[in-house]
Amino acid sequence: MSVVLSDGEDANHKSNEDDADSTVTGNNTGNHMARTGKRWSGSSSRRPQLKGLGSDNVHENVATGDHIFPGQLYSTESGRLFHAGKIIIVLVGLPATSKTLLSVAITRYTKWLGVKTKSFHVSEYRRRQGTEVPDDYFSALPTTKEGLEVRGKIFGLVFDDMVNFFQETKGQLAIYDALNIRRSERKELETKFSAFNIKVLFIESVLTDAELVNRNIKMAAQSFDYQGVPKHQARNSFMQRLLVNKPLYEEIIPEENLSYVKYINSGQRLIVNNNRYGYLINKIVFFLMNVRDKRGCVYFARCGTSDNDRYIDDEVLNKEGRRYSKILTEAVLDRINSKRLSRNGTPTFASKASTPTPEGLVMNESSGLIPTVTTLQRTLSRGNHKVRQIQSWDGADDDSFVVWTAPRKRTYDTAKYFLEKGIAVRQRFQLQQLHPGVVADLTEEEIKAQYPKEYSEYIKDKYHYRFPRAESYHDLAVRMEPLLLEIERMCGDVLIIGHESTLKVLYGYLMACTCEELPSLEFPRDEIVEISFSPFQNKAERLPLTTA
Amino acid sequence: MGVYTVSSVENLRICVVMVGLPARGKSFISQKIVRYLSWLSIKAKCFNVGSYRRQIGAAHPSADFFDFKNEEAFRIRENAVTQAVEDMMKWYEDDNGVVGILDATNTTRSRRDWILKLCRENAIEPMFLESWCDDQEMILRNISDVKTCSPDYEGVDPEKATSDFLQRIGKYEKVYQPLDLDHDKNLTFVKLVNVAQEVIVNQIQTYLESRIVFYVMNLHIRPRFIWLSRHGESIYNVEKKIGGDSSLSPRGMQYAAKLPELVRESAGDADLTVWTSTLCRTQQSAQYLPYKQLQWKALDELDAGVCDGMTYEEIEEKYPEDFKARDEDKYEYRYPGGESYRDVVIRLEPIIMELERQENILIVTHQAVLRCIYAYFMNVPQEESPWMSIPLHTLIRLEPRAYGTEVKRIKANIPAVSTYKEKGTSQLGESVNDATKYRNLLTGEGGN
Repeated sequence: MSVVLSDGEDANHKSNEDDADSTVTGNNTGNHMARTGKRWSGSSSRRPQLKGLGSDNVHENVATGDHIFPGQLYSTESGRLFHAGKIIIVLVGLPATSKTLLSVAITRYTKWLGVKTKSFHVSEYRRRQGTEVPDDYFSALPTTKEGLEVRGKIFGLVFDDMVNFFQETKGQLAIYDALNIRRSERKELETKFSAFNIKVLFIESVLTDAELVNRNIKMAAQSFDYQGVPKHQARNSFMQRLLVNKPLYEEIIPEENLSYVKYINSGQRLIVNNNRYGYLINKIVFFLMNVRDKRGCVYFARCGTSDNDRYIDDEVLNKEGRRYSKILTEAVLDRINSKRLSRNGTPTFASKASTPTPEGLVMNESSGLIPTVTTLQRTLSRGNHKVRQIQSWDGADDDSFVVWTAPRKRTYDTAKYFLEKGIAVRQRFQLQQLHPGVVADLTEEEIKAQYPKEYSEYIKDKYHYRFPRAESYHDLAVRMEPLLLEIERMCGDVLIIGHESTLKVLYGYLMACTCEELPSLEFPRDEIVEISFSPFQNKAERLPLTTA
Repeated sequence: MGVYTVSSVENLRICVVMVGLPARGKSFISQKIVRYLSWLSIKAKCFNVGSYRRQIGAAHPSADFFDFKNEEAFRIRENAVTQAVEDMMKWYEDDNGVVGILDATNTTRSRRDWILKLCRENAIEPMFLESWCDDQEMILRNISDVKTCSPDYEGVDPEKATSDFLQRIGKYEKVYQPLDLDHDKNLTFVKLVNVAQEVIVNQIQTYLESRIVFYVMNLHIRPRFIWLSRHGESIYNVEKKIGGDSSLSPRGMQYAAKLPELVRESAGDADLTVWTSTLCRTQQSAQYLPYKQLQWKALDELDAGVCDGMTYEEIEEKYPEDFKARDEDKYEYRYPGGESYRDVVIRLEPIIMELERQENILIVTHQAVLRCIYAYFMNVPQEESPWMSIPLHTLIRLEPRAYGTEVKRIKANIPAVSTYKEKGTSQLGESVNDATKYRNLLTGEGGN
């Protein structure tokens, strides 16, 4: 007899929810043969619990709810997607190799795709214990009885939670953030999870570039563990953790017969080995090709005003709009420079006294941006065809600053003063605002009056509903996917001047909003929103724009 | 405007430079990339140096021709590369090309450096894609494919062709410098080791490059077939209604009953996996198939929104403007509350990727979805694909090969209504004249 599996389930675990859902038949119109399976099943009629602008929801548990995520192409009754089954990603690597960054970034991306994902950070579990742990807890092989015990207890908790996530809730992808540097540990994980019919993929983060190693150690010494600890002491204590594990580290080798990805020097190189797991894992590898350790920030701003501000006109800015542009330009440049100064202390190339200073490398007077080491390296390699050259793409270097605008005149003109300073300004057609269809330029009251039926549908599911001839937020999210990944790859700063609808989607991705939350986000004209990146979470800050 | 179209403002152009010995699947991969990107509306073109070489006078060369000491021949080969690259550069400029693929062996470092320099001078991003393989079985299979398909061995005795081809590979092996993790560490490159057993991805610099790598990671070059079928005739089909979730008609049930036999005749004892949509007409059609079955939401029929459950005549009457708009641009047209063909193409991404990874899949799905899948394998232009005629009660077998996909149509000989609607009418059925063009696509003649 043949086995029938519906999207997202696997043979051993046909859950009760599936049965319940699949017995639903018929609909209200009395047409017994109409489609009952909607592309979207679930939650949109529920009142969203807004957590407010500024909080990153990447760590919210989604496995129990019916949330639908913005980039999701469809939803299934089982809650799992792509017939990918259940997967655990096990991170591998010494301390300070961006494992937390990777696990959180992957969580953000797969959640966006609608995959019920959760990252499990051993360090979080340890901190939640509240008490001090023995020194040798931080070694992959503790030598004292206490060390072994505490380690066993904490790791046991994480393991139980992970299994529970798969077995008791609708979880599809767990990400396990711990060292896992011993061959024996990996073998044990592979065996244990395989027994639960959960596929195991290892992602090993390897750093060989000394500069990256140093930077990561510096970052680690500022982590939660060292809040309030003097810098010097924090660094020493962290170095201790690193040194004790270094001799214990066994890199993954093909002979272990595992499916693994080596993520080398923050994604400069990836080696994918023995990948048997199909679409979802390949999609994650695709994401890994784009994720970067970001140093800059993303800024969101609205465009300046025009006389009528109507959808159908492609107007130019009015006087007030031009004034706004000027203020915006100065505010953003000031902010970027003050951040760069606080990051680097002094302009970094001044410390490289032994390097000959090439002609023309002074602080870029016209753009008013502070140069960095990267600026220097690039100037030195100009014209060498073996090294990539600056003009080839945007945002590759940490000293880059690019302005993206929508293709409309008023957004592009808002960037005019950046352009005059020699800063790259790009019109991105994906930033074209949400097409409002028949409700263009109508107020909410007018829509209610003129399209009562459509309006009541819209209220039920603001994210997926399309007015006649219009786009939904979901359409927008799908067509903006390339931009999301490009933002992930940009190391420097980017300012995005766009319509509120597109800013909502970008913000929704970076801050892990659900479909219920996304349409209610607001981006008023008197603020810039700054998103800054750290390994554990993104932060959003609203900076008032003083237009007086 | 296309979702994935890279507009000229972004000014990004990529040259995929293939690297590898003969019979490593380079042409196959090149063709696939072109097809995939075109399907996503990204302008891509392959420049095959071999065909340039044949044009300039070396149509059926023997192995000696590929000896790197043969100066006369070497000059011809240099010429061929130069012409291919010149045409490619012209294509970027004149046709706003986005992804050009240079399909050649590019086995030496000096040749690659020459291309690298040219690309950098023209602000084109070079990405090297090497297919490296030491799996003898796979190489031999490729050789047998080449000797039957390659224009170089047209009319040559297969035995002779094989030995000549092995000699040719030998000539290349003498000068081959594979991409090296140390030496080439600054290059953007992808190295496929035994197709996808190990994939090394180095210095990927743009989103589009990552997208190409993502696609290539799913490919395999083992021989395989894909079977496609629409569901059997449904009650809605008979009632001329679109969409819905109706059951099969009695004739549709006959097709379901006959399908296992049709498949067996075509597939023999091969163990297939059946993919259906979540709608009941595809599941009923597949109910007697003795294979493992998976239901995919992504295979559900194009959602006709407010028009779901109507006949075309009703749509024409109730939504005359929509009816007209759809005929004018069927690919982009989106039913109110429903989907467009482009929307379907986007949601099919997981299907296409899984399909590439698997062997021997039978898909039972719906007209619009099948058109999209078919268009992908057969490189059917976007404006034509929504108008292709894919009749009911017909099993289609696709065989992806190095130089194109072969199609076979197996009719069940069970009568069914036609659900084909021509442009400009609300009546169903095909008039011979208008449909001929698209029919050819189905017999395979119009294919690559």
